[in-house]
Amino acid sequence: MAVDLDSCTGCGACVTACHAENNISTVGAEQAAIGRAKHWIRVERYWEGDFPDVRLKFRPVMCQQCDAAPCEPVCPTYASHHTEEGLNAQVYNRCIGTRYCANACPYNVRFFDFFNPSWDKPLHLQLNPDVSLREVGVMEKCTFCVQRIKSAKTQAQAEDRELKDGEIQPACVQSCPPKALVFGDLNDPESQVSRLSRSTRGSTLLEDIGTRPKVNYLARQTQL
Amino acid sequence: MDRRSFIKLTAVTGASATLANCGNPENQLIRFVPDDDLVPGVAVWKPSVCPLCSAGCGLSVRVMEADVETVRGGQAGVVRMGVAKKLEGNPLHPVNQGALCARGQAALQVTFHPDRITQPLKRSGSRGDGRYEAITWDAALAELTSKLDALAAAGNQRALTFLSRRVGSQRQALVEEFLARFGAPPQVTFELFGDDVLRRANALSFGREQVPTVDLARARYVVSFGADFLGTWNSPVAQGAAYGVMRQGRPGLRGAFVQVESRMSQTGANADEWVPVTPGTEGVLALGLAQVIVSAKLRLASAAGRAGALIDGWSGGLVDFTPERVAAVTGVPAPRIERLARAFAGQTPSVAVIGGAPLAHTNGLFNALAVNALSALVGSVGQPGGLHFTPQPPPLSMSPGAAARATASPSIEKLAADLLTPGEAPVQLLMIDGANPVFTTPRAWKVRDAIGKVPYIVSFGHFLDETSILADLILPDHTFLESWVDAIPESGSLAGVLSMAPPAMRPLYQTRSTPDVLLEVGRALAMPLAPAFAWQTYDEMLKMAFASLPVTAADADAWTAAQTQGGWWGDFPASALVRPPTDMAPSPAASVVAYAEPQFDSAAEDYPFHFLPYPSSAFLDGSLAHLPWLQEMPDPLTSAMWSSWIEINPATAERLGIALGDMVDVASVQGTLRAPAVISPGIAPDIIAMPAGQGHQTYTRYASGRGENPIALLAPLTEASTGALAWAATRVRISRVGDPDGRLILFAGGMREEAEPRR
Repeated sequence: MAVDLDSCTGCGACVTACHAENNISTVGAEQAAIGRAKHWIRVERYWEGDFPDVRLKFRPVMCQQCDAAPCEPVCPTYASHHTEEGLNAQVYNRCIGTRYCANACPYNVRFFDFFNPSWDKPLHLQLNPDVSLREVGVMEKCTFCVQRIKSAKTQAQAEDRELKDGEIQPACVQSCPPKALVFGDLNDPESQVSRLSRSTRGSTLLEDIGTRPKVNYLARQTQL
Repeated sequence: MDRRSFIKLTAVTGASATLANCGNPENQLIRFVPDDDLVPGVAVWKPSVCPLCSAGCGLSVRVMEADVETVRGGQAGVVRMGVAKKLEGNPLHPVNQGALCARGQAALQVTFHPDRITQPLKRSGSRGDGRYEAITWDAALAELTSKLDALAAAGNQRALTFLSRRVGSQRQALVEEFLARFGAPPQVTFELFGDDVLRRANALSFGREQVPTVDLARARYVVSFGADFLGTWNSPVAQGAAYGVMRQGRPGLRGAFVQVESRMSQTGANADEWVPVTPGTEGVLALGLAQVIVSAKLRLASAAGRAGALIDGWSGGLVDFTPERVAAVTGVPAPRIERLARAFAGQTPSVAVIGGAPLAHTNGLFNALAVNALSALVGSVGQPGGLHFTPQPPPLSMSPGAAARATASPSIEKLAADLLTPGEAPVQLLMIDGANPVFTTPRAWKVRDAIGKVPYIVSFGHFLDETSILADLILPDHTFLESWVDAIPESGSLAGVLSMAPPAMRPLYQTRSTPDVLLEVGRALAMPLAPAFAWQTYDEMLKMAFASLPVTAADADAWTAAQTQGGWWGDFPASALVRPPTDMAPSPAASVVAYAEPQFDSAAEDYPFHFLPYPSSAFLDGSLAHLPWLQEMPDPLTSAMWSSWIEINPATAERLGIALGDMVDVASVQGTLRAPAVISPGIAPDIIAMPAGQGHQTYTRYASGRGENPIALLAPLTEASTGALAWAATRVRISRVGDPDGRLILFAGGMREEAEPRR
C-alpha cells in the first residue's frame, strides 16, 4: 500500500469504513477510556510549532504488513504468520492471547479483545459475513481486507482473466475521498502502488528498525 | 500445564517438527490457512442515496441474505431477507465518485439502530416524558386525518405547520405541494450551520441564490475563509475528491491552498499556509488582498463587475483597505497580505471561498460579499478552477407558486415568538420531519417552550429526540435503505445531478414512508386537496419527474436507467432549468455594502474569550450522535471519542493553570457548561472552541446524557441583513474547576509523545 500524505485530509472516512467492513466491535465509553478501543486504522496527528506559526500533519497508520515482522517470531502458536503473498496474517483460532505480538509491534496496530464482541440487536445485522468475529482473548489487526483480496481473485478466476491493477480495494482505500490510499501488487513493478513506492517522496515508518514495512508513505509537500 | 511450560513445549515441538519434516511437506505443521477455506459470500449491490447531510452522495449498498427477527402481519418470527451490509460510494455518481465520508459509512446504523421506533405510537403519558403506547397505522392515520379535517372545517388551514430540515429533494417538493394544496404556510426549516448568508451573498454578487461548487480539481491557488470544505462544510466528499486531484492528480502541477480562520479546522490542517485572523474580520482581509491586486495594477477593479460594485469604495480602489490598515484590523501582518495578494493574482486559476464561522457573525453578509468580489476580481467565476453553480432543475411543481412559497418560509425564531405570544396558538397542528430545533437552537429562542404550546404534534422521525419526544403521535418513516429516496445536490458537481434510488431492502418494522403517508392522508381528507395529487405514491411522483429528463443510456429510458445507476446526471435541457447557466445577472435592488465591525453579545472585559462552536467531524450539528460508530471514531484533531471538550490555546491554558483533561466552566450571558479541556496549538489565545453534537438529553442510548451542548451558550444574535443566527458572536469567560474526571476519552491517550518540550 502507498499513502500519499499530500492528499490525505485526515477526514477519518477510512476509520469508520474499516469498522464497517471488518466487524470491529465498538467497546463503549468506559472501555475506550481505559485504552481498549480498537481501530485497525487510525489517523495520527503531529503538531509542529506554536501559534500562530503552527502546522498539523496527519498520518493514517494501519498494520504495516512488515516483511520482517517483529510480531511473527514471538507468536508461540503461529497465529501471527506470514502468508505466501507477504501479508501478516492472524489466525484467530490459533491465538491464545499471549499478546507478545502486540508488545513486539513497534506500530501499535494490534488490538486485544478483552471481551466477547456484542452488538445491541439488531445492530448485528450490519455484520459482514465474510469476516470472522473475534472472541475474547484474541489479538486482531488490519488484514488489508484479505476477504476482499480473495473475493477479487475468485471473481477474476471465474472470468478466466488476470487481476487488474487497482481491482482489489480494501475498505479504507475504497472510501478515501482524495484517493490518498493506494493498494496493489508490490511484486508488479508496473502497478500504481509500485510506481508510487518508488517516489522520491516515499519512506516507510520507523524504517531504521529494519522491519521492512510494505506501506510506503509519500511525504506531504510544501509550497508558496 | 502452566502457560510458561506450554509455550516452551510448543516452541520445541514446533521447531523440531519443522526440522524433522523438511522435504516432507505433507507432515509439516500447517502454517498457512489454505486459501480455499476462505469463501466469500455472494452479494448484490444496489444504489441508494445518503440522507445524513444535504450533499446528496450516491451510495452502493451491499445486500446479502440474513435472518431477521421481525413482525409480519402481526406475527413475530424470523424472516430470511436481503439486508444491507455495507455502504460504499457509488462509483458512477458525479458528486462523491465512489468515495464516502465517515458519516456516510455509519449511515448503515440508522437502519439497524436498536432504539429505532418500530411502529406508530400515541402519547400515553404527559407531554415530554417519553411514554407512548403502540397503535395501528389505521388508527394513527385516522387520528391525523381527523385533526386535519377539524382544521379545514374551521377554515383554519393556516394553523398547520411543517417543520423540517433544509434539503433539496423531490420529497421536499412533495411536502411543499401537500401544504400548498391544504392551504398551510410553507415549511419551516432550520439549519444551525446553514449557508443562508452565503446564498444571499451569491444572489447579490452572481445572481445565484445557491452554495457554490468550487472547481478545486483545476485550481492552482485556493484561499478559503473559514470553509471546512474537507471536513463538514457543503459537499465534503466531492470537495475531498477534487482536493486529491488538486494536490497530486496533475503531474507537475500541485495546487496551493491557504486557509484563513481563527481555530485550525481539519481543513486548515491541510493548508500550505494557515492564516489566523481576528474573528469577524475575514471580509476585511479579502478586501485587503483585493486592494493590493488593484493598486499594483495586477487587475482592473472593474474586472469584478457587479460583485465588486456591491462593495463600498471598490471603484475608488479600496483606499480604506491598504495592507497597513487591514493589518491593524485583522491581525495579519501587512507584508503577508501583500505576498498572499500577489500569489492569488499571479497563480491562476485562483479562487476564494467562504464558509462556516465568517458567515456567522453579525456582519456575515459583508464577509461573504467581500470574498465573492475577490474571486470575481481574478475572473474565477464560472471559469475552470473557479466558482461554479451546479445546475438546478425545477422542483416538480404541480400547483403554481409552490416553488416561490418555499423561499418565503418563516424563521423558527419567529415561529417560536408567535407561539409564546399570549392568546390562541397560531399553530394548532405541528408536523416534524427529522428536524430537532429544541437541540439546535439557542435557549433564548425558547423553542421548546413554544413547541410545547402547540395542541397537537406529529413526528415522522426514526428516533425519540429532544423535539420529537414532545409529539402526541409518532408515525415512523422507513429509513433511506427501506424506501424510495432522492436528493437534488445543490453543490458538488459541475453538471446537473438528481440522486434517486428505489428501496435497497425490505422494511424491518411496521414503518411507512412519510411521503406515502402524506399522499394517503391527502386522499382521506373530508375536504379533498385542491387540486388532487396526480400520483398515488411517492415513486409515481419520482417517475413523473424523471420521465421528462433526457435519455442518457442507449438501452433504457431516463427513469429505468436512474433506478439502476442511482440517479440521473448530465445537462438539463435549457428549458427545464430554474435559471440557464449563463444567467449571472445580478438582482437589481442591491445597494452598496460597507464594512461594519462584528458585534458581540457582551463586553470583552467581562467575557474575554470568543466562543466558537463548530460542527463536529462525527456528528455535525448533533443529528448523528446516536450512531455508535461515530461516537467511537477518534476526532481528527484531538483523537477524542464519546466525549465533548473545549479547545484552549497552550499559552492561555498555562496562564489559567489549565492542563489536558482538566474540568473547565465556560460561561456566557446565556448560561454555563462544564467540559474537559484539550490544549490545542491551533487556536488563537482569545478563542475557546467547542464541537457541537454532544449534550443530548434524549437521543437513544448512545447519545443521551453524554457531554455538553455548546449551542446552549449561544446568544440570540443574528446576521444583520439576513436574520441568520450569528453563532460565532458569543463571548465567554472560563475558569478551571477541577482535575480530570475521566470524561475526556482520547484514543491511545496514554501513548502521547511530545517531540520536544513546549517552550
